[in-house]
Amino acid sequence: MDPAEVEFLAEKEMVKIIPNFSLDKIYLIGGDLGPFNPGLPVEVPVWLALNLKQRQKCRIVPPEWMDTDKLEDIREQERKLDTFTPIPSLYYMELTKLLLNHAADNIPKADEIRTLVKDIWDTRVAKLRLSADSFISQQEAHAQLDNLTLMEINTTRSFLLDSLNYMYKLRSNLQPGRSQDY
Amino acid sequence: MFVTDIRKEFYDVVVNQRVALFVSPDIDALCACKVLQSLFHCDQVQYTLVPVAGWQDLGTAFMEHKEQYQYFVLINCGANVDLLETLQPEEDSVFFICDTHRPVDVVNVYNDTQIKLLIKQDDDLGVPSYDDIFRDDEEDEEGDGNDSGNESDGSAEPSGKRRRYDEDALERRIERQRARREWEARRREILFDYEQYEFHGTSAALVMFELAWVMSKDTKDMLWWSVIGVTDQWVHDKIPHMKYVTDIATLQRHVSRHNHRNEDEENSLSIDCMRITFEYDLRLVLYQHWSLYESICNSSYTSCSFKLWSINGQKKLQEFLADMGLPLKQVRQKFNCMDMTIKENLREVIEESANKFSMKDIRVQTFAVNFGFKNRFLASDVVHAAAALLENVEKDETSADNFIKALDCLSRSNLERLHLGIDLAKKKLKAIQQTVASCICTNLILSQGPFLYCHLLEGTPDVKLFSKPLALTLLCKYLLKAFLCSTRNKRCKILPLIMAAPLDVEKGTVIVLGIPPESETSDKKNFFGRAFEKAAESTSSRTLHDHFDTSVIELKMEDRGKFLDALITLLS
Repeated sequence: MDPAEVEFLAEKEMVKIIPNFSLDKIYLIGGDLGPFNPGLPVEVPVWLALNLKQRQKCRIVPPEWMDTDKLEDIREQERKLDTFTPIPSLYYMELTKLLLNHAADNIPKADEIRTLVKDIWDTRVAKLRLSADSFISQQEAHAQLDNLTLMEINTTRSFLLDSLNYMYKLRSNLQPGRSQDY
Repeated sequence: MFVTDIRKEFYDVVVNQRVALFVSPDIDALCACKVLQSLFHCDQVQYTLVPVAGWQDLGTAFMEHKEQYQYFVLINCGANVDLLETLQPEEDSVFFICDTHRPVDVVNVYNDTQIKLLIKQDDDLGVPSYDDIFRDDEEDEEGDGNDSGNESDGSAEPSGKRRRYDEDALERRIERQRARREWEARRREILFDYEQYEFHGTSAALVMFELAWVMSKDTKDMLWWSVIGVTDQWVHDKIPHMKYVTDIATLQRHVSRHNHRNEDEENSLSIDCMRITFEYDLRLVLYQHWSLYESICNSSYTSCSFKLWSINGQKKLQEFLADMGLPLKQVRQKFNCMDMTIKENLREVIEESANKFSMKDIRVQTFAVNFGFKNRFLASDVVHAAAALLENVEKDETSADNFIKALDCLSRSNLERLHLGIDLAKKKLKAIQQTVASCICTNLILSQGPFLYCHLLEGTPDVKLFSKPLALTLLCKYLLKAFLCSTRNKRCKILPLIMAAPLDVEKGTVIVLGIPPESETSDKKNFFGRAFEKAAESTSSRTLHDHFDTSVIELKMEDRGKFLDALITLLS
């Protein structure tokens, strides 16, 4: 999968905006949206929120988890434990990137949030690499990892699968007798 | 006619239509175009952007687009000529003109249906009143007709009565004709006074920004573009200093409004957001992207005060640097690499020393923009970069390509283009400085009586740069200032300057430009537009009055002599 595809899937997440125009309820295939009234918050998918923001038709309210204190707690927990901690949103990395690139003026302390999310990401990906490494070196048959997000899985997917395939081919070549039985 | 409510009469009309945008090649127009484009993007208005370099381009572009579009927006072109007669449009075409050229043609002002002027009426326009210029011609004809009718009818009446009646009628007719001749003479005089001097009004970018503000859709990007538009008018000497200061004060109010809106103590903005600050900064061109030494040598203000084309001048510059206590090694380095201790109080130190060397106005009010950690630009930096990109002669590209590149460099996401523009601007300024130095040292400026004249020969280095109007204007102003500083002849100090530079060697044309005399309180009113027209007519020289600025024309090299003679007789 492309990281761009994962970002596309992330844009379906809902986020709260405060529009400055009014519009009746709109009926889309994916669901109903609205009605929009100036000054009243409404939940919309991220793709619509970004489009409206770029046309200066709304103000984006940052999600509750996008707060320096909460993110600091998550980061500390992540660093303490060996397993993955549950995080508030399955698409935290993509949402942070999208919202901070397009709506940084609506998000307080945007620079610190960017640093904190990057720290959390680095810790989790490091843990993932460690566990993939130990999986291959100890030649385990199966493993279970909880609380991973799609973006993190995506970083390791192609590498892990290809290396496991090669390992299988190498192992089957090492035991010529058994393979001849097929 | 003048538009009173720009939102209702202009924006709400075009927001649901397809619009053709004709933009002239100067930085103020580019900025106004950017503001209008971002408004159109917000509301998803379909538009076509056409850069037009002169009247012929405007005519061709109009021919191409008149079938498909009903609404045309003209930026910095079209106000000073009778547009309906030049373009011959259909009845239903509507033109919205946002132009800084003054005086506005009277037909454009008094046409109620097809021409809408997006111009602030508090600019001192001085448009003559309707009755002074237009008059119903039918009354006169009817009166005459009655008289002649009476004469023929009255043939049956007794002769005595008829003779008296005839005399009265005749007297009335003579009276009317005399009144009419007087009215026409007065009309000619009024129009002559009105159209004699050409000058510039409020920046188009500022007008567009105020439209955005009225609709509450103004952003910092748009504010920055309107700052660049106003600074462009000041850099290219189109508006007097007082008007610049007033416009800057207006912009300063908008800047503080934007700054207070987003920032407060606890939730400070991300460093990547754009911040505009009001600065009382030095008048040294591009000094933050160059070394301080180069900047002092190539800015017209400092170079003319020190007279840097002479050896004495160089010595004075060294004294100035020594007076400030700046070591030469530091001053010749790139500004970003200078010592922090020197950079901290640089402006105050320079101002103090400048006062000792009789440079009282080394600091000027302007704005700077900051975004990210690396990027800091003054408004005049961006103006010079964009102008250099717009008139880039290095590669063989069409003027439309250069226009698009210059338009791009104004967005925040195209910083490499902006830096490229700054490099080109540095080359241009160095070329200007060297040309000025050589002109002064070889006495190329001749006094022709009512004006000064300078002709750039073909072999002059970098002469290709000066075949473009903006670069040639900068050279002219710089040269005039330098000449004033270097000459002792008091009479020459109040003369205007005409400059000719080769335009196209194969066709044998030169570009001729005239600027008004240089003075502290000059109101920048330029009479050369009309003078050039009259001189060309009287000598039937082959000229092309294609530029929107009427003081810039193209002329065949062979006709130069008789054209100048005609000008001399006209102006003395």
